[in-house]
Amino acid sequence: MKEFQVTSGPFIRDKNSTKKIMFHLLIALTPIILFSFYKNGIIPFINDKVTILGMFYPLIFIILGPIFTFLTELIYVKFFLKKDHTEVKRHINSSFSIFPGLFLALVLPINTPISILFFGSVIATMIGKMLFGGFGHNVFNPALIGYLFVTVIYGSMIASNGGYLNAMEMDAITTATPLSNVALVEGIGTYETLVEPYGGLLNFFIGTIPGALGEVSALLCLLAFIYLSILKVIKWKIPVVYVGTVFAMTCIIGSYNGLGVWYPLFQVMSGGLLFGAVFMATDPVTSPTTPIAQILYGLFLGILTVLIRYLTPYPEGVMTSILLMNMFVFILDKIGSRSRFNFNRSVFSFLFAWVLIIGLSLQIGYGFKKEDPKVDTNFNVNNIETKDGKTVYTVTQKGFSGNIKAEITIEDDLIININVLEISDDYYPKVTKENFDKQLIEGQENITEVETVSGATVTSTAIKNMIINTLKDYRGE
Amino acid sequence: MKTIKNGIFNENPTFVLMLGLCPTLAVTNTFEGAYVMGLCVLTVLLITNFIVSIIKKLIPENVKIPVYILLITTAVTALDLLLKQYVPALHETLGIYLPLIAVNCIVLGRALSVASVSSVGKSLLDAIGIGLGFTLSLSLLGLFREVLGANTITVMDGISSFTGYHAVFQVFPENSIIPMTIFQKPAGAFLTLGLFLAFFNYIKEKRGAAK
Repeated sequence: MKEFQVTSGPFIRDKNSTKKIMFHLLIALTPIILFSFYKNGIIPFINDKVTILGMFYPLIFIILGPIFTFLTELIYVKFFLKKDHTEVKRHINSSFSIFPGLFLALVLPINTPISILFFGSVIATMIGKMLFGGFGHNVFNPALIGYLFVTVIYGSMIASNGGYLNAMEMDAITTATPLSNVALVEGIGTYETLVEPYGGLLNFFIGTIPGALGEVSALLCLLAFIYLSILKVIKWKIPVVYVGTVFAMTCIIGSYNGLGVWYPLFQVMSGGLLFGAVFMATDPVTSPTTPIAQILYGLFLGILTVLIRYLTPYPEGVMTSILLMNMFVFILDKIGSRSRFNFNRSVFSFLFAWVLIIGLSLQIGYGFKKEDPKVDTNFNVNNIETKDGKTVYTVTQKGFSGNIKAEITIEDDLIININVLEISDDYYPKVTKENFDKQLIEGQENITEVETVSGATVTSTAIKNMIINTLKDYRGE
Repeated sequence: MKTIKNGIFNENPTFVLMLGLCPTLAVTNTFEGAYVMGLCVLTVLLITNFIVSIIKKLIPENVKIPVYILLITTAVTALDLLLKQYVPALHETLGIYLPLIAVNCIVLGRALSVASVSSVGKSLLDAIGIGLGFTLSLSLLGLFREVLGANTITVMDGISSFTGYHAVFQVFPENSIIPMTIFQKPAGAFLTLGLFLAFFNYIKEKRGAAK
């Protein structure tokens, strides 16, 4: 009797399936690519914002990604593994080598230089795929590995280049993507602050909002999802459960704070959620194969995404949660295969997930409700000294992590010096680099108008509030 | 000579035995921290291997480990105090990982497996071999991580208060590249170690196939 050996998925392949899957995926992605070209290339060109080269830049960018990954894989197989010609050909035909680069290009911002795309593609193929043993052996989604490296290493550089905004949006919109706008809005936000700057929910649906190259259009992602699931190219359960979980959780959070149905819709349609759910979470290698495992996978992806969006400073969360959950695919598949014919065995897992969903949403919703930005109990005057007409306040204000302690000197009703004594925020160097204290001193007549430092919003807001509170105290209000 | 070579290549503590990974991951974000940590371990190894091989016949079998631990801790504490006196800046950067040499499994492992059964000469040579192997592999990691992560090579910065020289080199001209800061973070440490391990295993496999 032969021994049954488990190596790695996918186990069932028919002769044409790889080519067919690649073909259908490309068909599904074509409208997304064309829309991205239209939105980031043609419209700015018509409005005379970019040159002809700038018009074709998004298209060139998206086409170069797959070429880079394809070449990397070819070179790796040919020169490093030293395969002969027929083997190389067979390998290339069956390994989806263009998709990591294509997906990577689609989730990167428009202002990414091509050199960074090259770096990301090489990392995606080499570290994300080939070092694990090639297609079928990788634990993590290769495109997301590339994306992770690019954002961790070059994120700030891309952001200073203009980030997600194309030439049209740079003039019209000041606050980056809808989700990074969420981080700037105090509390949970309202329709006016969250949706209105981008012109209504319909724009979110069609995709004329700022965002990464391929992820903005909810409509096209939905169409691609329907097309691919009818042809059984992707596993439909994962995206449905994933998006459904995010919708349910944000619905609870929103309704707890008295927001309408637009709020969960806004959360679902902004950021890379739909694109990630349809194309990234359903990657044939790195997603579960049994139905119950797929449902659990979607549930936990949704929970993680909501957690990252609400409880961390990072506005997105889709890519990170998919990478995290990729690690647990093996365990989920074990649960799934055990309870394949007996649903009761996985009831515990589902119960756990549902309790988590409801509990966490209520907790997050409650956290927003409690917050009342008007009354500032975080401010404290430690000492007041008056000498030669100058008044020196020693005050503390709660910052991002720990208290900020500062000496503020006031002369003739005007602040002349801010001296920060103690601060434990990591973002403080960014604030000093922007000469924020000088800006505050210059703009103290209209202090509420002084713009906070982007990228260090919490810290700079805390310093600003400290000044406002000190002035209030000085004027005896 | 053979013993030293064995310590550096065949039984390299980081890349083959995979011992003492805690300092390997933690202090290798600069070249300086890496090689100083390696030298500290080398010194401690020398002292403990020497003493253990001298007194090996005096110690009863069942209190072997406590006695060795005591010896190692004494050496480490002395080293810790010395560094604190002469190179306070470096002592600060190495931090908790310096006293933690006491529980580094390389030191106790060598004392148990080599020094307590071999002659004085052999255990000294073994200490030099293993210590050099550790220093070299740590320096390699530190060099790689610092060049990629911060675009500098710190040869003497923390220890400049002792040697009198200050030497920090810039690898590429400024603003020509953006350093990949991930290599300075713990994630980068794991990644670099993994890549190096894969590389050395690949070489080993190739050599084995050639033979």
